[in-house]
Order: sequence, then C-alpha cells, then structure tokens
Amino acid sequence: MIGTTTALIGAAVLLVLILVWVRGQSASRHLPAVMDEWLTGQDDLPEACPPEFVSQIFSSRDFEFISRLESVDLKRLFLRERNAVALLWVQQTAATIRRIMRHHLEASRLSADIKFAMEARILLQYAQLRLICGALFLLIGLAGLERLRWMALRADKLTQRIGNVLREFESGARSREMDGVQS
Amino acid sequence: MSSAIKLVPVQEAYDDLLNRTLARIPCDLGRLIYLASTRDYNTGNYYHEGLANRFRPEVARKALEIAHRQAFYRLSAFSLESLVSDLEAYLQSTRENPREFLRAWQKLEPYRVAIPTEVNLTVARLFTSNLRLALAILHYRQAQNHLGR
Repeated sequence: MIGTTTALIGAAVLLVLILVWVRGQSASRHLPAVMDEWLTGQDDLPEACPPEFVSQIFSSRDFEFISRLESVDLKRLFLRERNAVALLWVQQTAATIRRIMRHHLEASRLSADIKFAMEARILLQYAQLRLICGALFLLIGLAGLERLRWMALRADKLTQRIGNVLREFESGARSREMDGVQS
Repeated sequence: MSSAIKLVPVQEAYDDLLNRTLARIPCDLGRLIYLASTRDYNTGNYYHEGLANRFRPEVARKALEIAHRQAFYRLSAFSLESLVSDLEAYLQSTRENPREFLRAWQKLEPYRVAIPTEVNLTVARLFTSNLRLALAILHYRQAQNHLGR
C-alpha cells in the first residue's frame, strides 16, 4: 500500500516536472519579436540581467508602497505590470542560457581536451536552471513575486556561474590554440 | 597604452558634461530626457555643440552615450516611491499644466524614446513599466486632491 502511494506521488511529481519543463521550453520559444532582435544582435555570449534588477523585480518594497495608497486599481495595475516584467526576465534568462549552451557545444566540438567532470557539472547546472525557469514561468501570477524571490536569485546566480565557467573555457581554449600556433 | 590615451579625453568630456550641463538639471528624469534629446533619431548618434567644440566630436559622442546609459540604469534602479518623487520634480521643472502633462505622458508615452540602445531588455521593460505606474500614481493623487477640495 505504501509502495503504491509512493509510486503515485512519484509519478505525480514527475508529471509536474515534465509539465514545468515543457512550459519553460515553449515559453522561451515564443519570445516577443523584440527579444529575437535582441538575441540576433549579439555575436558574443549574451549578458544576463544585472542582479540588482532581478532583486528589484522580485522584491516586496514597491508592492508595500502601492498597498499604502489603498487603491484596488493601482494594486491591480502594479501586479499586472510587475508580473509581465518578471515573465520577460524568465524568458530572457531561458533564452540567454540556451544561447550560451549552444555556443559552448559549438566550442567543445572543436576542442581537443574535454573534461568530463566539468561538462557533467555544466549540464547539471543547465538542467537545474531550465527547471527553475519553467517553475517560475508557471508560478508567476500564482504565488506572488516576493515568494519566488529566492528561486529567481538562484536562477540568476546559476546563469552568471555558467556564463563565467564557459567564458573561462573559451579563453583557455583560445590560449591553447595560440600556444599551438606559436610552437 | 593607446586605449588609455583615448579614454582620458572621454573621461574629461564626461566630467565636463556632468559638472557644467547635467548638474543644472534638478532631477534624474530630467537629466535622462536631456541626454536622450542629444541623440539623433535618424542615426542614433549623439551630438552636443559645446562639448564637441571643447573636445573632439567623437569624444563628445562617446561621453554623451556613456552618460545616457548611466542615467538610464540609475533611474531604472529607483524604487517606485523615489521614481514618483522624481517624476513630480520633473513635472514641476517643466512648468506645464500637471493635468495636461499627465494626460500627454500617459497617452503618448514619450519616455520610451529616452531608452538608450543596447541596454538589457528586461531593464528597459522595467523602466517603462515603472514610469507607467508612477504616472498612474500621480494621476490617482491628483484625482484624490480634486475630490478633497
């Protein structure tokens, strides 16, 4: 009986995770036209949104200020506006990380020394980030932004971390190439 | 070395812009609108006659571009409460009729042209969203004052 319950819970969790993943995938695919332009205009690794702005989008400070005004319309407008900004940030983060990974795959195909442990770590962080983006996309509007703040900050940290690791990987590969040319 | 030589005049032009021109403008939104107005809509290039005469035109252009981007990020990082105060200060500095000003700004959203090129997309959206909210708050306060009379 306990085994069946556990299996059912497990299946439900798995189903939710798959749904979250699929929603995140489709969210980053259906980007606004302005986002496509933003992405195609960048030849190098794209810059993520500065962390102080991520913190600002998901903070409760502005909502507290709006609440003090005691206007239902203003509160509604605020929630609609801020949720739209948060969703755009999730889409931008998902698109940025997809682009970074594509960039990395192209670079590692040309690289002679691939470190398995590092690749596995990057892949794990990438999967974690995609999952967080999917969850955020699903929960924004349902849970309230300030409750999702820790998830957003975690996603931002992971994006920066992956970006930095891959930048180091690329500069290392470039300097090895230079050494090869010199010798 | 050559980049250091190039950077020094840009820094000088930037300081000059900050101390002579921008320091006279009483609020951050005013400074942003002013800097955006030095950009040619057709080419996206910045031009300021006084600065271009004192320094080289390309140096002045770079200094204006940097100052514009910095003013934009500074204002975008404002809390909603601070932005409302800054917008109020800007409104007062224009000496326009507040009702007409708010109506025009809510309808035409002229602040959209104040966004520099090559800024983060989310920050640009946050900026327009916050200004829309600040305008709605001022409009609400104006209506409350009207009712109170």
